[in-house]
Amino acid sequence: MRLRAALGAVAISVLLLSACGGEEAEPAGIVRDPAPDLAALSLPDAANGNAEFAFKADPGRLLVVYFGYTSCPDVCPTTLADVRSALEDMGDDAQYVDLAMITVDPDRDDAERLTAYVQSFVPESHALRTDDPDALWAVAEPFGAFYEVETAADGTVEVGHTAFLYGIDDAGLLQLQWAFGTEPGDLRSDFTLLVNRAKENRE
Amino acid sequence: MIRRLAVVGLGMVLMAMTMAACGGDDDTVKAEDAWARTSAMMQDAGAVYVTLTGGETADSLVKAQAPTDIAAMTEIHETTMNDEGAMMMGEVPAIDVPAGTTVMLEPGGYHIMLMNLTAPLESGQEFDVVLTFETAGDVTVPVEVREQE
Repeated sequence: MRLRAALGAVAISVLLLSACGGEEAEPAGIVRDPAPDLAALSLPDAANGNAEFAFKADPGRLLVVYFGYTSCPDVCPTTLADVRSALEDMGDDAQYVDLAMITVDPDRDDAERLTAYVQSFVPESHALRTDDPDALWAVAEPFGAFYEVETAADGTVEVGHTAFLYGIDDAGLLQLQWAFGTEPGDLRSDFTLLVNRAKENRE
Repeated sequence: MIRRLAVVGLGMVLMAMTMAACGGDDDTVKAEDAWARTSAMMQDAGAVYVTLTGGETADSLVKAQAPTDIAAMTEIHETTMNDEGAMMMGEVPAIDVPAGTTVMLEPGGYHIMLMNLTAPLESGQEFDVVLTFETAGDVTVPVEVREQE
């Protein structure tokens, strides 16, 4: 127990030192350790003729991924509108951010519907869907995402899903994730941080 | 969550100011500042958010009804997070509004769900929602459609 406390103290002082030494501000998002490696995963992009879309940003860019569904009245549009606000406030750096939404409700979200929905928040976004439940789960699990779709006796469909936004770098590593309700200002500063890292890595 | 706390905090300050300004008038529950988000393309479900302020006695919101030319069905819903961190949404029978207390229906918490929208909600559009309270009865509140701030 004492050893653990001592190690904790060391870890904290290392964190403090790195915070003082570096030029980067502390991100508002959650750091996953170890960072999930998503580079090998892909899903068809309904916004691009169902071409396979890999979970890896293009060099010098940031990929932001969201699991949701279009019939979602509250959580999904709140989050996607927050992303739109963050991008609007980023200025020129917004052009280095790509958004991809994965539907957890492919039965109701067909290609056209999903594409129109996500692109009404952020133009040129990617609309990822598959009719194969195993293929969807194979992608969701490494993200740490969870979802369930249940149809009640009266025909109403209830959907539950993890509502994080995920930020992925050009090596396919999950750099940061943001919980529901993260302020658009915090998203903006974290997006800018990750875009700057991506640009530096490219140079 | 921080945003919700901040909003509740602000709500409490506003409520205190309102009560100080017009004591005696607030004997029944009030519903104010109702809004719905502008629909995204293809979105067939919507949500109305509103600020409820309790009167001199506790009351509870038991039913909400939007015009059927706006949405086929209206329900009172709550978004919650389950043990696995997933956001779930479900119908609730009632929302309690304790005496003199502000209850926010806001993103990520309670909302009035509009199911099967007849047409996308457009910015600037207005419609009325009838809120039925156990004690106060029907209260009609105007809803403004706008982008999220």
